[in-house]
Amino acid sequence: MGAPILDVNHLTVCRDGTTVVEDVSFALQAESDTALVGPNGAGKSSLVQALLGILPRRSGSIRLLGHPLGPRGQLPVAVRDRIAYLPQTLQLRGRIPLTVAEFVGLGFERPGLSLPWRSCGDRTAAVRRALGRTDAADLADRLISELSTGQLKRVLLAFCVVRPRSLLLLDEAQAGLDSQATEHFHTLLYGLRRSEGWTILQVSHDLEMVRRTCDTVLCLNRSLRCSGSPDHALSPQQLERLYGPGYVPYHHHHHSSGPPSP
Amino acid sequence: MSAPVALAELLQLPFLQRALLAGLLTGALGGVLGSFAVLRQLSFFSDALGHSALLGITAGILLGLNPTFVLVPFAVLFALGVDRLASRSRLPADALLNIVYSSSLALAVLVLSRVRSYRGGIEQLLFGDILGVSWVDLSLILLLLLGVCGYLLLTRHSQILLTLDEPLALSRGVAAGRHRLLFIVLLAVVVAISIKAVGVLLISAFVVIPACASRLVSRHFPHYVLLAAGLGAGCAVLGLLLSALLDLPSGPAVVVVQLAGFLVALALAPRVQGLAP
Repeated sequence: MGAPILDVNHLTVCRDGTTVVEDVSFALQAESDTALVGPNGAGKSSLVQALLGILPRRSGSIRLLGHPLGPRGQLPVAVRDRIAYLPQTLQLRGRIPLTVAEFVGLGFERPGLSLPWRSCGDRTAAVRRALGRTDAADLADRLISELSTGQLKRVLLAFCVVRPRSLLLLDEAQAGLDSQATEHFHTLLYGLRRSEGWTILQVSHDLEMVRRTCDTVLCLNRSLRCSGSPDHALSPQQLERLYGPGYVPYHHHHHSSGPPSP
Repeated sequence: MSAPVALAELLQLPFLQRALLAGLLTGALGGVLGSFAVLRQLSFFSDALGHSALLGITAGILLGLNPTFVLVPFAVLFALGVDRLASRSRLPADALLNIVYSSSLALAVLVLSRVRSYRGGIEQLLFGDILGVSWVDLSLILLLLLGVCGYLLLTRHSQILLTLDEPLALSRGVAAGRHRLLFIVLLAVVVAISIKAVGVLLISAFVVIPACASRLVSRHFPHYVLLAAGLGAGCAVLGLLLSALLDLPSGPAVVVVQLAGFLVALALAPRVQGLAP
């Protein structure tokens, strides 16, 4: 195997003075699909945010595509461009005069200075293709603040896939998707891995789906409790260690699902 | 004397020409910055800043300096201080802003009531005085408008992402902390420079009302910002003309015109939203 896409060593993250992620080390190989599972408040989102420099880390090191992440989240622009992040939700407050197509276009652009008269023909085509891939073509002219939870997830995924990437970090991407959209979503992820060589790390509560689609599982409850293949990491004994006794793994995700998309 | 003749005569007056030009520029500036500020929940910040600015003006009077030159550093320090305080303290930002602005306002009025040498009335500071706009103010406003537009235009992708969701912007490598601070400082400077014509009590309307009106009826981000700028400039000019014609205080006249614009947008909003596919 080649150099890992993501290499995490002894990562510790604090949020408001409490340690939420403690001494976590793991590596992701190219084209792997890794699930990050654990109970609520286990630090899954914080871990993902620390990997991107959204949350500062207290100690440890992170290498993304072979480049070290600076202490304040610095990463070369070219490397940033190869990484996409799908947050759990957006903090939308009230009407935002921004259409879905405009929003997805922001995923195509590199942040930083850009001159207003630069041609945007490439961007328009890429946005249309991305929205088509995530079944969101009909949403292009809607406002980003008008979408339902499931629609917003598909648009966020389009934001991620609007450019070729190497690493995709998903924070509960399926929460709020109906079963058909979930199925389509996994077909898309599988295609991105196999034909375009993407590496995926996804936070998920859907252990059944994780068993079917992921090749590695990381069990997190502040520190890394176990990792390995789904058969090993999601065995009843390991799950009881992770979630505590009395945990029923099935049907869990239905409680946290939002309304189905229209 | 009929209204058109009166208007033509008024337009000959250099001070009114300066005031109209200043209104046009500050209105546009308030609209542009405001369109980002209202989405970033900074409406109350600009209000508190405007009220606190009276303390800056008072300091200028005590020191015998041109208020503008005291106001700008005062506003910048205020913005940086409040930002630091809000990120350090556990109090909600609106409560904190309220404490800061009511105490600065109280302090300023107490001091002003004791200063005999001050010739202008408190009323002019509170509600604005179009006679007070000088060529220096005007060129400062023009420079500021060019600077703000250049900055926002060049960094527009980062600015929109930051307005939408800070974690998402950070994940794309946007230097969120630096942009947020610079934006707040620019907002503070704009408020400080526009205060003379509009007054400390109503200055935040320049930032908030045109942007909110535009937000109701726009569907695309560039249209939203341009419409907010246009509304800000148009309402300011119209309000100042009304104020000159009818001998009304300038700040309130502009704000009433802005309110009319907002009500029109409110009436149009369901129709615009009905156009959604």
